[in-house]
Amino acid sequence: MKTIRFVLALTLLAATALPSYGQAKKKSVLNLFCWSEYVPQEVIDGFAKETGIKVNVENYASNEEMLSKLLAGGSKYDLVQPSEYTVESLIKAEKLEPLTAENIPNLKNLDPKFAKMPHDPEGKYSVPWMAGTVGIVVNTAKVKTPITGYKDVFDGTHKRRIVVLNDSREIVSWALATLGIGPNDMTPENLDKAKPILSEWLPQVKVYDSDSPKTAFLNGDVDLGIVWSGEAAILWKKDKKFTYVLPAEGAHQFIDSLCVPKGAPNKENAEKFINYILKPEVSVLISKEFPYTNPNAEAVKLLKPEQRANPASYPSGDLKLETFKDIGKAAKDIDKVVTDLKGRKAR
Amino acid sequence: MQAALGAPDTTGTRRPGVIGWLMMTPMLLWLFAFVIAPTLILLVYSFCQRDDLGEVVYVFTWDNYRRIFFDSDTGAFGTTYLTVFVRSVVYAGLTTIICLIVGYPVAWFIGRAPESRRNLLLTLVMIPFWTSFLIRTYAWITILSTNGLLNGFLQYTKLIAEPFEMLYTPGAVVLGLVYSYLPFLILPVYGSVEKLDNSLVEAAFDLGAGPMRAFQKVILPLTQPGVIAGVLLVFIPAIGMFAISQLMGGGTDPTIGEVIQNQFMQARDWPFGAALGMTLVVLFAVAFWFTSRHQSVVEN
Repeated sequence: MKTIRFVLALTLLAATALPSYGQAKKKSVLNLFCWSEYVPQEVIDGFAKETGIKVNVENYASNEEMLSKLLAGGSKYDLVQPSEYTVESLIKAEKLEPLTAENIPNLKNLDPKFAKMPHDPEGKYSVPWMAGTVGIVVNTAKVKTPITGYKDVFDGTHKRRIVVLNDSREIVSWALATLGIGPNDMTPENLDKAKPILSEWLPQVKVYDSDSPKTAFLNGDVDLGIVWSGEAAILWKKDKKFTYVLPAEGAHQFIDSLCVPKGAPNKENAEKFINYILKPEVSVLISKEFPYTNPNAEAVKLLKPEQRANPASYPSGDLKLETFKDIGKAAKDIDKVVTDLKGRKAR
Repeated sequence: MQAALGAPDTTGTRRPGVIGWLMMTPMLLWLFAFVIAPTLILLVYSFCQRDDLGEVVYVFTWDNYRRIFFDSDTGAFGTTYLTVFVRSVVYAGLTTIICLIVGYPVAWFIGRAPESRRNLLLTLVMIPFWTSFLIRTYAWITILSTNGLLNGFLQYTKLIAEPFEMLYTPGAVVLGLVYSYLPFLILPVYGSVEKLDNSLVEAAFDLGAGPMRAFQKVILPLTQPGVIAGVLLVFIPAIGMFAISQLMGGGTDPTIGEVIQNQFMQARDWPFGAALGMTLVVLFAVAFWFTSRHQSVVEN
């Protein structure tokens, strides 16, 4: 009796430690592999309701994580959401399925500015989801000195009050920007120049978070951060003390797209989903929850004036913003620099 | 592990017959499919390279192991990953000690409680596990953050004037680890305590032993199998845990689990991740071999 009870308790413990998998039914499905905090539940539910297609969602926190799981096979995804430089490398490696434009009539709603961009010159493989920038959020209630660029964030006076994206390529590109080097010039010599800067910067960071850096701000754990503009826009919406600054040293833009991986089992469903989110009335739902720059011109017309006035979502002025390009092997060197510096950091 | 978990069988070794082997087959298959085969795959990967996209290329290289032990800039002996490893061991060690101090009395109390109440008490230990581990970790974030519940309470009661930094510190990581692994210590110790024959404890007292001596000479040796099992169940998973150090530590002081996880996800450098994993396995094996040898020397 005693043994049985003990075994029962252990089993209970083991059972809760294991994730439970629901029984997949033979039903029309869409396996969506997307960024965390990027696709509103409302949109997924709306799509499922309209089409009767069951949507399985899996999340990732960086392009690299997505690539890892996508290339490892095992799971079959129908729709992924890579950023521009990852789209470029996936096209190069022939890992994407060309889209059938006839199946996506709502493509006409896109702002021509976001169609056929350098990473997908023919617009054959990707449809932009949201665009945005990476910039600095300042809690002006706490930080009284003017913050204009990366150097001000890491000037030493805000030690352990900083959150940054947990993304090696981003972090290295900021250090290079302070040297006037563009984000795609990731040569070994340039990386060597970035190292001393990063070894100065990284110990000042309190939190690395790509999923939801806004949380650290809202919890009062940090006063400064280098984050996605959408996160900044949400913070500004909550409290105007959180201002967004595009770094003076040079900012860059990202475009996240929807793509169908090669061999996706449900390509038609993926195209149906793309067409669905391109509807202006659906697209505004995305903007409402995740206020990045919406590439859907028809949807932008439907936005409320205060949404369009959000400086983090729709920065004013005609900005010259660079985008990341595929840098091939250098990606490994970049990660090595950041991993080694993080590991080495002694306190 | 075998000797630690149950009483060692000293009545002479009997070779398993055909039936014995048949009964063991599922276990052996399991071991092969989920322990031996993955370890071999890791071993192969750890000597491979990665291509531009991060896929494994089967070309032999020592580079992954070289990177663990030598500084990439100077080529001298590097302490980067050694520091990470030592940090993980310290976190896991602290966690185990705290779990032992907190968990042993609890296990004792439950094991000695009236039979009718033990089920209820055990259930209470288990209840937190009915909620997802991640949700419980996020709950800690809400409690410990600067504007969080604990700081708010302390300020409200005027115990502190300014909120103090609790989240994203090594202390927070250890707290999270203790919270997550405590039941894994309580349960095996409880198993030993429940089996403990009370007349032996009474005999110790009758023979003039004080509480301390009775504990030291009778209770502790008799519950030792449970303690050892519990310590292993806490210490080993705690070394490899990555989610807690990332979420509650802010990812600033990476643990070995975090670095390995990063290699498989962020960096897409599976060969290097595999090399780190293999090094960890070898270090464990050496430590285990060393302690067991040491033990048998002491016993002889």
